[in-house]
Amino acid sequence: MNLAARQPVLLVAVPLVFAATCPLWGMWKRRICFYWALGGMSVTAFLAWSLIGKVSQKAPLTYNVSGWRPPWGIQIRIDTVGLLLACTITAMSILLLLYSYRYVEKEIPTQRIVYYYTLLLLIFTAMLGCSVTGDLFNFFVFMEIFSITSYALVAISGERRAIRAALKYLLMGATSSLTVLLAISFLYSVTGSLNMVDIGQVLERMGRTSSPYLPVAAAAMIFFIAGFCVKAAVFPVHVWLPEAHSIAPSPVSALLSALVIKMGVLGIIRTLFTVYGRGFSSFSEVWGALATVLSWAAALSIPVAAIMAIMQTDLKVMIAYSSVVHVGYIVLGISVLSVQGFAGGLFNIVAHAMGKGCFFLVAGIIIYKHGFRRIDDLKGLGRSMPVTAGAFAIASLSIVGLPPSAGFIAKWNILYGCLQQSQYIQVVLALFGSMLSAVYCFKVVYYMFFTGSNVGAKMDEGPMTMLIPVTLLAAGTVFFGIFSALLMPTLSNAARVLLAR
Amino acid sequence: MRRLLVVAALACLGIMLLYTIGRMPPMNSGSTPDKTHVVPRYLEHGEEEGGAPNIITSVILNYRGYDTMGEVTVIFSALCAVVALLDREKRGRSRSAADISKVKSSVIVRTVVRIAVPVIILFAVYTILHGETSPGGGFQGGAIVGASIILFTLAFGLPESTDRMPLGARIPMESSAMLAFLAMGFLGLAFGVEFLTYALPGIHGQATETIRMLMLMVVEIGIGVAGGIIFISIVFAMIREDRYELQPDIP
Repeated sequence: MNLAARQPVLLVAVPLVFAATCPLWGMWKRRICFYWALGGMSVTAFLAWSLIGKVSQKAPLTYNVSGWRPPWGIQIRIDTVGLLLACTITAMSILLLLYSYRYVEKEIPTQRIVYYYTLLLLIFTAMLGCSVTGDLFNFFVFMEIFSITSYALVAISGERRAIRAALKYLLMGATSSLTVLLAISFLYSVTGSLNMVDIGQVLERMGRTSSPYLPVAAAAMIFFIAGFCVKAAVFPVHVWLPEAHSIAPSPVSALLSALVIKMGVLGIIRTLFTVYGRGFSSFSEVWGALATVLSWAAALSIPVAAIMAIMQTDLKVMIAYSSVVHVGYIVLGISVLSVQGFAGGLFNIVAHAMGKGCFFLVAGIIIYKHGFRRIDDLKGLGRSMPVTAGAFAIASLSIVGLPPSAGFIAKWNILYGCLQQSQYIQVVLALFGSMLSAVYCFKVVYYMFFTGSNVGAKMDEGPMTMLIPVTLLAAGTVFFGIFSALLMPTLSNAARVLLAR
Repeated sequence: MRRLLVVAALACLGIMLLYTIGRMPPMNSGSTPDKTHVVPRYLEHGEEEGGAPNIITSVILNYRGYDTMGEVTVIFSALCAVVALLDREKRGRSRSAADISKVKSSVIVRTVVRIAVPVIILFAVYTILHGETSPGGGFQGGAIVGASIILFTLAFGLPESTDRMPLGARIPMESSAMLAFLAMGFLGLAFGVEFLTYALPGIHGQATETIRMLMLMVVEIGIGVAGGIIFISIVFAMIREDRYELQPDIP
């Protein structure tokens, strides 16, 4: 049996086995669910990380499920972007599960813990499925799974306002899912295919023969982008995010901010570059207009969301607005259509996952220990919780974008990409937003370290299972800032292939 | 002002949709892209390649079986969401809900339901098992099973209904669709063929067909059992929603 060749499908099938069997362990002993989930994601992480170096954007690793060649069957297709996300998801999943171990005991009703772990396993599986699939409808199916599970995870604490936030998220999320489904059906009606690469080829052919159905494909592109923008929380349609991400239990907030919104970004990349990229010339007007609109929306969102973040008094709401800022950076990098900007955008997916993951987990530790949510309450916390507060300070370097952090490398490349394309106004907006980010991040750091104590100076740290993920994430932002050369050349190559036409 | 904006946005959306739909390929033509690209192979070879005379079954279980595995996971996720949020009753039967769902249905309703339910379930089994050759299949059959139990619950009340349910087996049954797909997938992998191929290598002739039929049947039954039980679990959880109290906000 040649397992190595089947690794792509195992990447989805293995965590699904663990998800499907998780409630069975819950029947027997609730505690086992945690170890089961952790074990499952460790195996999956091994599967994902062992693929590093084996794929490239030009020569993706493919696997035909059930043995049917595309376009008849579903093809799994792991390219650099997909693998980047898969590795980020699996690495984060282990940290988040570890963190959840103590957190859920306190913050989530006991009888829900089994389903909490099941939902986590399902959402990780679904995001992996989205990352590696080469099929448009398959993407939608996995998108539905991670959407449904994330609505439930937002509401799982059972607080009234959590349910309200989840409902708002559900309404916007379901509408965006339907928009994407509508776009898929439009595109299917004129191409007859669901495989992304194959649709690209059909569209190219349609363009050459100036098919009468080109406007339908163009409209589908608009619906795709509209739908994925809601999932990614791009500026005017980000309204669900601050509430949902701030009220969810902290590991879930970290999960949603670090990973789930990136799936919307992935959808945008797949639409603009894999599906429509090849047939670009037939859509150059609509395509170009969409990219411009996206880059403007993203650039505007950076200062606007940063101002909103500054105005917040609740720590988690502030962090949530900061996610809108960073989605702005990522989408700006992607839509500015320069190799460097694109690579920076991809790099920011990882940098933001680590930085924002760390932020939310730190907020979670503070809630776990003290029940504080307000920024004013954090005074002097640096003395009693030096590790937690220190991790926050280091992560905030990355969120603001100062060297030597990963966030700096990402922003540098994105802004450089904008300059290459002479998008000066976008650069000014982004830089202004960065300065505002410094205000809201360092305000918290200042409160923690340089003001009189609110809780006393006695050492009173959170449990180890919560400190380890936080420390690792903070260390990660610095590590990838210093050793950005591990990642950037690969990402630049991927960007070059995606942008080439 | 706000209302005006909403109306304007909806009007824009409406115009765009009408424009797009007006340009879509005609429905009644056989030469449109959606009928000439991948579909001919399904129609011409679906029965021999896919293993089911019912082409739809061929497509959803075989050509696009991986998608269907995702779809059963969607249903399972919905169940997990509902159960996690509404707090499924303690396992085993619980009498405490009796006062909530006290049902006053007439003798006529009860008698008719009592006679109809077994017949409906029989029909569901037929739908599940016959999905390969005629319209039907696991999803449809599961929905019919679910509907019959819901009908019973409406007539007799929740406690009567839960008494008759194998509650201990409920959790494994809820995962059964995913487990059936995964089992068939890994069986293929173990024998050296691709994931979800519904074939075992080294077997030739008539036996290939039999094995494929059996594997498809396992998946159909898994979907049917899980589909039915998930519908029932969701409805049961929602009937108990009255007992559900929101936890107070943390200030």
